[in-house]
Amino acid sequence: MTPQKPDTTEIAIVGAGPAGVAAAVIAARAGAAVTLLDENTNAGGQYYKQPTLTESGHKYPNSLASNIQQGRELLAGLNHPGIDLQCDTLVWNVSPEELVLYLCGPTGARALQAKRIIFSAGAYERVMPFPGWTLPGVIMAGGAQLMLKAQGLLPGRRFLLAGTGPLLQLAAVQLLEAGADIAAIVELQPRAEFLRTASKLWGHWDKLGQGIANQKKLLQAKVPIKYGHTIARALGENEVSGAVIMKVDGDGRPIPGSETTLEVDSICLNYGFIPATELPGIAGCAQYFDYNFGAYATKTNENLETSVAGIFAAGETCGIGGADVALLEGQLAGAVAARQLGLDPDTDEATLCQKQLQARTVAASLGKMFPVKPGLCALATDGVPVCRCEEISAGEVRAAIRMGVVQLNQLKPWTRVGMGRCQGRICGEILRQIVAHETGLALQEIQPFTARAPVKPVLLEEVGGAVADTGELTWEDHVGGYGVART
Amino acid sequence: MKAQRINGIERGEPITITVNGKEIQAYAGESIAAALLAAGQRNIHQSVKGGAPRGYFCGMGMCFDCVATVDGIPNVRTCVTQVHPGCIVETSS
Ligand SMILES: Cc1cc2nc3c(=O)[nH]c(=O)nc-3n(C[C@H](O)[C@H](O)[C@H](O)COP(=O)(O)OP(=O)(O)OC[C@H]3O[C@@H](n4cnc5c(N)ncnc54)[C@H](O)[C@@H]3O)c2cc1C
Ligand code: FES
Repeated sequence: MTPQKPDTTEIAIVGAGPAGVAAAVIAARAGAAVTLLDENTNAGGQYYKQPTLTESGHKYPNSLASNIQQGRELLAGLNHPGIDLQCDTLVWNVSPEELVLYLCGPTGARALQAKRIIFSAGAYERVMPFPGWTLPGVIMAGGAQLMLKAQGLLPGRRFLLAGTGPLLQLAAVQLLEAGADIAAIVELQPRAEFLRTASKLWGHWDKLGQGIANQKKLLQAKVPIKYGHTIARALGENEVSGAVIMKVDGDGRPIPGSETTLEVDSICLNYGFIPATELPGIAGCAQYFDYNFGAYATKTNENLETSVAGIFAAGETCGIGGADVALLEGQLAGAVAARQLGLDPDTDEATLCQKQLQARTVAASLGKMFPVKPGLCALATDGVPVCRCEEISAGEVRAAIRMGVVQLNQLKPWTRVGMGRCQGRICGEILRQIVAHETGLALQEIQPFTARAPVKPVLLEEVGGAVADTGELTWEDHVGGYGVART
Repeated sequence: MKAQRINGIERGEPITITVNGKEIQAYAGESIAAALLAAGQRNIHQSVKGGAPRGYFCGMGMCFDCVATVDGIPNVRTCVTQVHPGCIVETSS
């Protein structure tokens, strides 16, 4: 296939969540030609996910309706002649020298060359494994929210929410308002620790206020919140029919004899979020270890420039921070990128920069409140799969660790973990926790999987030629014509 | 376990899709996964190696546990693919 000449734009933005949308709006208003790309069918990202059912989308329960409305107001800004929004378009590779993005969308595979690139690809949910965690009916808490918000569907009747962090209580309120019955919320952190660290948010009334309002609603509905507990097992043959929860010690290790069985048909999990760093990773952008959230994230300077010339990063790609941080960072990245192209955005970057740093500080103290604890690894007994795609058990991983294989990139060829279609997005963080637990290495000493193109499986027939052009990858035809890079 | 379409939320046109030879009711704009859950089918995919039941998990196209054959195309992520009239879905479990 002869390489096609790439399309061109001034600012290419990957990800139309709050960060990407804010960046696009600021830059376009300054006069830049912006191309905003998202693999989803609609712009909005995770927090401002919009209903796909009808245009109006009204009659949603309270907590969802206001969120959908806020999103709609933000997205109205995209109605600008300078913004070319391309949805259903996956960015699967990047070439950092020429600032070229490789796309796969409704019109097939294409390349797009930009003068500046902004990565605003967001984050993924973090989960920890336990017996039964692959059963249908065990879902990610954000996945449950997406069913509510985008589909107007309550994905179960009686729920257990388990893990750690503010999303559990928020999701519980949203499920409740949609008519669900909540058996319990199981929060890993002990109550005393929860209150002690919550006091650090003193003064940040909006954050505290949101948390208190959620707790009030849960109290009214008599939803038990079990602090210092964990989900220990999902029960059921072909789908969830119950759950066992247990008390944990200070390290998160389940305490034998503390089991309680709950009758539920759905279990929602969330242990915080992990920044999506694949594309910046492929571009060679430096990363840093975010101690507050226990994960690697894309490193930027105060103007949100990455270590690679011409490439910016904004929002949760640069560290978990929530929608407020994402909005501020999007504005800042969009403004700085536009200014570098000789335009004059209507913003005061110094003030934005200051606000963004403040918002990051609040987010960091929230993150510190909800660490994943190493003792949870005890729940991944040897027969429990840790890699859902390749069905590799915790026992197989532990055997490899005993042979001295402690880095994820080595575990991959050794055990096939991370080689499946999710490309390590779910097991990567689990493996880091297990290696740390088994070896005593600090989490930051265990490197995440090296990202490879294509960042998500793409149909070989669509990008085959484009892949051949990049030259350096070996390909294996995965089940059904999908291509996954093998290393 | 049947998932519940939330009462009162406006939906698109009702449409019929075929799942494993049986007709089920869906609405324009819905994802295939939502239609499956609403029809009571949570068990969507059989894992390749162990044949274990899998279903909707991440909801954002990341985990591939919700894949099915749609209109003859295998391994389609039902959580990020919308239904269309006449859509034919075959699930492996
Ligand atoms: C399922 C889920 C639910 C959440 N719910 C909440 C909540 O209720 N409250 C809260 O405060 N926070 C929530 N969060 C955290 C949330 O991510 C942030 O608050 C906020 O949305 C971050 O904004 P962002 O712009 O950085 O990223 P996002 O909003 O995540 O947007 C990133 C966008 O990039 C797109 N993208 C990523 N990679 C590519 C690619 N290679 N090609 C094309 N497009 C790509 C994605 O499709 C997505 O639309 C949730 C996160 C997830 C994953
Ligand atoms: S539920 Fe994870 S990809 Fe569809």
